[in-house]
Amino acid sequence: MKLRKYLLDKGLSVLLYIFMCFILLLLMFAFKAETSMVMAVTVILSGGGISLLLINFFRKKRFYDEITNNLEQLDKKYLILETINMPEFYEGELMYQFLYEINKSMLERIGEYEFSINDFKDYVEMWIHEIKIPLSSLSLMAHNHRDIFDKRVNQQIKRLDNYVEQVLYYVRSENAEKDYLITENSLNDIVSNVVMRNKDDLLEKNIELTVSGVDKLILTDSKWLEFILNQILNNSIKYTDGKAHACIRVQARAEGTEKTILTIFDNGIGIPEDDLKRVFEKSFTGKNGRTGVKSTGMGLYIAKKLCDKLGHGLMIESEEQEYTKVSLVFLRNPYFDVLK
Amino acid sequence: MKKILIVEDDYSISRELKELLDNSGYEAVILENFQDAKNEIVSQMPDLILLDINIPYTNGENLLRELRKESDIPVIMVTSRNNETDEVLSMSYGADDYITKPYNPTILLLRIGAILRRTEQAGDTLRYHELLVCPQKGLILREGTGSEPETEVVLTKNEMIIFVYLLNNRRIVTRDELMTDLWNNKEYINDNALTVNISRLRTKLKEIGYENAIATRKGQGYILL
Repeated sequence: MKLRKYLLDKGLSVLLYIFMCFILLLLMFAFKAETSMVMAVTVILSGGGISLLLINFFRKKRFYDEITNNLEQLDKKYLILETINMPEFYEGELMYQFLYEINKSMLERIGEYEFSINDFKDYVEMWIHEIKIPLSSLSLMAHNHRDIFDKRVNQQIKRLDNYVEQVLYYVRSENAEKDYLITENSLNDIVSNVVMRNKDDLLEKNIELTVSGVDKLILTDSKWLEFILNQILNNSIKYTDGKAHACIRVQARAEGTEKTILTIFDNGIGIPEDDLKRVFEKSFTGKNGRTGVKSTGMGLYIAKKLCDKLGHGLMIESEEQEYTKVSLVFLRNPYFDVLK
Repeated sequence: MKKILIVEDDYSISRELKELLDNSGYEAVILENFQDAKNEIVSQMPDLILLDINIPYTNGENLLRELRKESDIPVIMVTSRNNETDEVLSMSYGADDYITKPYNPTILLLRIGAILRRTEQAGDTLRYHELLVCPQKGLILREGTGSEPETEVVLTKNEMIIFVYLLNNRRIVTRDELMTDLWNNKEYINDNALTVNISRLRTKLKEIGYENAIATRKGQGYILL
């Protein structure tokens, strides 16, 4: 709170006060009061006026300075009320009361939204579990009655399953809630599970797959990582389709004792340079999504979000018509060993 | 014949599961009465249980915990819930394996086979007529008799996986099953390579005196005679 601005704000009152003092002095002159009396009244009036002004200023200054100062330092500004004391002047008390009420109604509103979002999330999760029952049924039927259902049915079931899973992990990634569990996992098993899920596609499309160096232990949530890898591998399969010597190479190497890097390389159609920095954006489909195969632009976005939560690095390199290389970086946090 | 009990409340799934298992040489039974599931299971005396987590009256995890108090029957948990906590919980209650829906039927069969073998198999060698198969060493031995010396052939890892699978499943085995088993063992080979491996395996079996041991059933697969 600045004195100059305060005075300017109080300008009218100050002017009025000075004007009245002036009239009073004139009156005293008119009644021919004694000079010493005029002097005394002048001193009292001006001294009193100035001190009243200053006392008021400093009372308010303490309160408003505290607010300004705390607001600047606070990261979540709506918590301001928790950091200040109830002021000792009437206007301040009113202000405090208003802030309190506004805050409270806002919190209630947010609470409602939180509740409805959680409700929705629960519903989606439940729905996904329900939808998996007919999906399982279908895949068993397709297996039992191969004479009626052919391989194409299986492919479509797999597509359905993949989309359903995307929804599940999207809901999980958007939510601040922690429903993952970081443990020590065999990278080999995780890669194997993902590869297994895509076995039919890989064989059908005659893609040469090599897996090497994955005999390592990493800290992660196996379900989440499987989902992430599945998105990446799905892309590789999708964008190598039709190549004469399509190949996908999954490779892991350790860097020092605390870092493991997993790369998924494919010699598919690649990603144009302009699109490359945007592939992790939500709903971004880019040139490949527009011209070739259908794409939702969600797979890599969700994968990136999950990686961020798990603390894994996710990078992508590519050259159009040549290759795409996705790297995942796993760190071994020394704290984990301490916890164990 | 191994008896497998299906504990699953969705009828369309349990019916298809039963058909799948029956066709694969198991005797599959569907649990009808969920109200007294534990006693029902114990009285059925199955060799393995496929247990869904979402079942009426209780849930799979509780049932498993109850069951473990009196029996060591192998249990595979089957669920559509897909998270790490459920899996950890199930395993800590004593499940032998955990599979999420929708499952690949071939993989389900592989897991069942693996668990049943793990629980009954004592030694790590298998027998095929007069041959001794040692998967760990990658060897097939023919023990010497009086006049003939002992002979052996060395199989590659892939050939051994194929041979062991045929040996453990003495029925018509599809190429897809063999492929799934190979991939499950982290050997990601393609269709041509499978053909090559089978013909090499045949040659090696011929060397050791079993010509035509593996027969082709056109349009269906292979069978070990």
